Parts: sequence; structure tokens; C-alpha cells
Amino acid sequence: MKQPEKGNALLTVSATAFALLLMVAFVGPFFLVDPIQQDLRHVLEPPLSPNHLLGTDALGRDVLSRLVSGARISLLVALVGMMGSILLGTIFGFTSGTKFKPLAWLSDRLIDMQMAFPYVLLAIVIVAAVGPSIPVLIVLMILAGWPSAARVTRSIVLGERAKDYVRAAELVGANQLRILTRYIGPTVVPAILVIAPLQAAAMIVMEATLSFLGLGVQPPTPSWGGILLEGKPYLRDAWWLTTLPGLTIALTCAVLIGLGQGISAKLTGNRRRRVDVLRDPLQGEDSGEKIQPSQEKGHPGRSVERK
Amino acid sequence: MRYFLSRVGQAAVIIFGIMLAVFVLLRLTAGDPARIKGQIFSSNEVIEEYRRQFGTDRGIFQQLSTFLVGLTQGSLGDSFRFQQPVTDIVLPALQNTLFLGLSALLLSLVFAVVLGTLSARTPGGWIAKLSTGVAIIGQSAPLFWVGLILISVFSVQLGWLPSGGFTSWNSLVLPSLALALTILPAQMRVLTASVRAEMTEDYVRTARAFGIKRWRIYFVHILRNASLPLLTVVGNDMGILLGGAIVAEVVFNFPGIGSLALTALTARDYPLVQGITIVAASTFVLVNLFVDLAYTLINPRVRVGGQA
Repeated sequence: MKQPEKGNALLTVSATAFALLLMVAFVGPFFLVDPIQQDLRHVLEPPLSPNHLLGTDALGRDVLSRLVSGARISLLVALVGMMGSILLGTIFGFTSGTKFKPLAWLSDRLIDMQMAFPYVLLAIVIVAAVGPSIPVLIVLMILAGWPSAARVTRSIVLGERAKDYVRAAELVGANQLRILTRYIGPTVVPAILVIAPLQAAAMIVMEATLSFLGLGVQPPTPSWGGILLEGKPYLRDAWWLTTLPGLTIALTCAVLIGLGQGISAKLTGNRRRRVDVLRDPLQGEDSGEKIQPSQEKGHPGRSVERK
Repeated sequence: MRYFLSRVGQAAVIIFGIMLAVFVLLRLTAGDPARIKGQIFSSNEVIEEYRRQFGTDRGIFQQLSTFLVGLTQGSLGDSFRFQQPVTDIVLPALQNTLFLGLSALLLSLVFAVVLGTLSARTPGGWIAKLSTGVAIIGQSAPLFWVGLILISVFSVQLGWLPSGGFTSWNSLVLPSLALALTILPAQMRVLTASVRAEMTEDYVRTARAFGIKRWRIYFVHILRNASLPLLTVVGNDMGILLGGAIVAEVVFNFPGIGSLALTALTARDYPLVQGITIVAASTFVLVNLFVDLAYTLINPRVRVGGQA
């Protein structure tokens, strides 16, 4: 009898929950009333009222229907943003790990700068310049999200560089591109699998924040942040307009973080390999470095010494 | 000293780069503010007049040079909307934002030190559990939602604190609390880990053998050694604090640069947007510079090994 691995239960539960969420988001809207259908005779009805399980908003729109259809937008934007930021981050991570020093230096500095710059400020400038829309939102999220993925990739690439198999490949005369893609490339995959859900969670919060500020998804298209923004004036009279979408966001993030931890635990259990990237997605992956104060602070990207 | 100078130089280059980027980006892509200022059916003469007034009738390089010359005299141009120098509007707002950020930072540090140390002392105790709970909330609940919940509990239901604005020091409590919660988890985690690492050191045993009181060992002897990693986290928190302050200001209608930026954005007041971004980004770069330099002063190991 095989011992059930630790973390598998977490993985199963959170993966199921996430699959359920995706299904509700993408199939649910077909079974619910139109989320932008107004009904001015039934405004601000509390949850559990007839016909409206989660109540209605100030324009009589069904909150459940809006949340479900907002889930579709929010999840879609978050997933695209997650993939884009991981792709861009991986490219930069590998660039930072090249032997060609000026390129690596440039890539390091770009990571530092982008990591440090508050994304809300960036969003304000870009939206001021080109106006808010969903493609702009996705670009913003990719811009805000790639540095964390880049740093994870970078530290792994630099770690692998020093190993014997890479040295051997260099001795045999494999070129740098081949070494990076064929030899080091596969070693990055587990870490990416772990950070993907965490990145998605960060993206969901980011989308909600930007939409809440009016910089993201624009009304009447429902998104979780947008529903919160529209519910804000009714804080006193209609608690459900702000509490419910916020709770949805928090639960979704919790599920995604659980998914990341589950994947990490499974990978560690199976391969005895430490995939130590489980930090919070927004606040940097260098806690390991923080615990050893002897590392320099000025260059947070340099947690792994270059050989 | 060389390190000091190169850091200052780097900061200056970054600030200048940000200024140029913001200016060019906004001028190239932005709509015509004269059209927004004028009524829909304004005649072309009126629009032209506004353009002359705003200076947008000239080429981008001329505008840039006017802007740069103004900059050397400490001016960021005039706001289209408020018809006032941008600096007169932005600086008071910046001051409020800094108040907010600073009080949030202090609040989170106090919580991190108390909760982090106590949960390192008894792992698995109720304080450790409470801290984990707080950390989970801080990590997964978005700032603006926490803010809205705080408003509805403490100002709408209980009526203890004002829900927004900046009229008295009480107005700072809720926004700082919401903001502090976003940076607390990382601080707490790092402090707990480093306190736990310090606990087994010889000097702790010696201090205990000398009969020094427990709380004194924890909060004076251990804390002094354990707080260096915390300082690194605080440095990384600056970006989150500034970004978060913008969000918190909107939630609490707090008159800082964040709410000002959104007002300017909807009014398409480009000089104001530009001024705010430049001031905010420069503040941010300067604060980071300060943290870096402070870190080298406090931790000599960085100074020696810092060139690595």
C-alpha cells in the first residue's frame, strides 16, 4: 500500500475547486440571467430574495449573474496575464543567465527597476496615455508581473550553470543557446509549474485593483473589481455589493495559493528536489536571502552569486 | 564613499529617465486637452486659443525644452484644470501620502515585532496561530476590499472612526491599518524566522545565565540582531507601500497623490498627471536610495562584501 503523499490532498482539493470555478465561470453565464439587464423595480434587493439568490445592485442587476460573468472576465484576463508574464519573465530570466555579461547586466537592471516601480503608478501613466481597455489591462499586468517570474528563472539558471553537466556540455563545444534551451531549460519547468498559480493569484488581485480604480475593465462589462467599485457608494445600505465580490476574490486567491503549494509539495515529494519558490507572488521571492543578512541589499536580483 | 556616489548618480539617472519617458509618452499619445477644456461646439478659434494657452500648439521638442527649463526653476508647469502651478497642488498631496505611508509602516513594524517575536517564542501557540491567520488574510484579501470592510465595520456600523477624508489624526487610523496589513505578512515571516535562528545563539544563553529578564532578552538583545533581515524587507516594501497608498486613498477618499492622480486622469489634466507621476516616482527612488544607504551604514558586512 502506497503511503499517501503529503500535499496531495491539498493538491486534489484546490485543483478540484479551481476546475469547478473555471467551469462555473465559462459555462455558468449560459444558465443565468443577463448580467447587464437592468430592472429598476427591483433595486438593492438583499441576498436570498425571490429570483435573486445573491440580491441585486443599484440598477436591479442580478449580483450572482454579475459575479459569475465577472469571473469569466477576471479569470480570462488573469490567466492570459499570467502566461504572458511568465513567458516574458522566463525569457528575461534566461537572458540574465547568459554568459554575455552586458546583456545579463542590462536584464538584471531591468528586472530590478520594474520590480521596484509600483504598478499602480505605471498603470496611471499608461492609462492616461492610451485609455483603459482590456488589452491595455493585460499588457499592464504582464508588465507588472514578469519580474517575479524572471527572478525565479534567473536564480535557477545561475544555479545550474555551475553544475558539472553544463561544464561538460561547454567542454564538448555545445553553443550557449543550445546549453540554455536544451540543457538548462528543462530544469526550470518545475519551478514554473509552482509559480504559475501564485502568479495567477497575484494577477487576479491586480485586475481587481486596477478595475476598482477605474483603470481596468470598464462598465458595463462586469468584473470583480468593477462590481466592487460600483458597490462602494452603497456601503451603508447594501453590504452584499462589496462583501460578496471581495470574498470571491479572496477565496479564488486562496484556492490558487493552495494549488501552488500542492504542486510544490508533490514535486518535492516525488523528486526530492527543492522547489523553493513559495513566497508571496507580489512581494518577491528572495526571503531566503533576507534571512542571511550578509547578502548585499542594493541588488535584490543577485541572490545567487555569479560564478 | 564610491559606493555612495555611484548610488546617488544611479538614482539621478533613473529619475531623469522617468521624467523623459513620462513626458514623451503623454505628449505623443494623449488626446487634445484643449478639446476637452472647450465646449463640444467650440469654434476652432477658441480651441486654438486654449492650445496657445496650454502650449500644446508647438512641436514636442519645443514643449520638452520649455518643460526642462521650467524644471530647473523648480516648476512642473501649470495644471490645465486648476489653473495653478502643479507643484502647489502636488506637494501638499504628497505630504499626506507620506503621512499615510509612514504611519502604515510604523503600524506594521510594531505588529510584526510583537507578533513575530512572540510566535517565534512559542511556535504553535495561540499567538502564532493568530499571526498565521492575519498573514493569510493579508496575502489573499485585496487591500481595497479590506479597506471597504473596515469602513463598513468601524465607521458605518460602530461609528468609531471617520470613513474618509483627512480631517483629524483619527482619519489616518483605518487607511494605515488596511495598508499595514498588506506589508505585514512578509515582515512577520522574516522576523519570526530570524528570531528563531537567533534564539539558539550563545549570547542568548549567556544573557539568560546572567539572569536578564526574558522580555528584555527578546525585545532588546535578540531583536537587535534579528532586525537586519527585516530591514531588507522594509526596503522592498516601499514600492508596495506607495502603490498601496494610492489604492487606499481612493477607498478612503484620502487627499493624497493617488486620489489626485485619478482626478487628473479623468480631467485629462496632463501636466498634473505628469507632475504627480514624476514626483511620486522620484520620491520612490529617493526613499529606496535612502534605505540602501541606511542599510550599508547599519550593516558593515554589506559595505565590505557589497562589491560582489
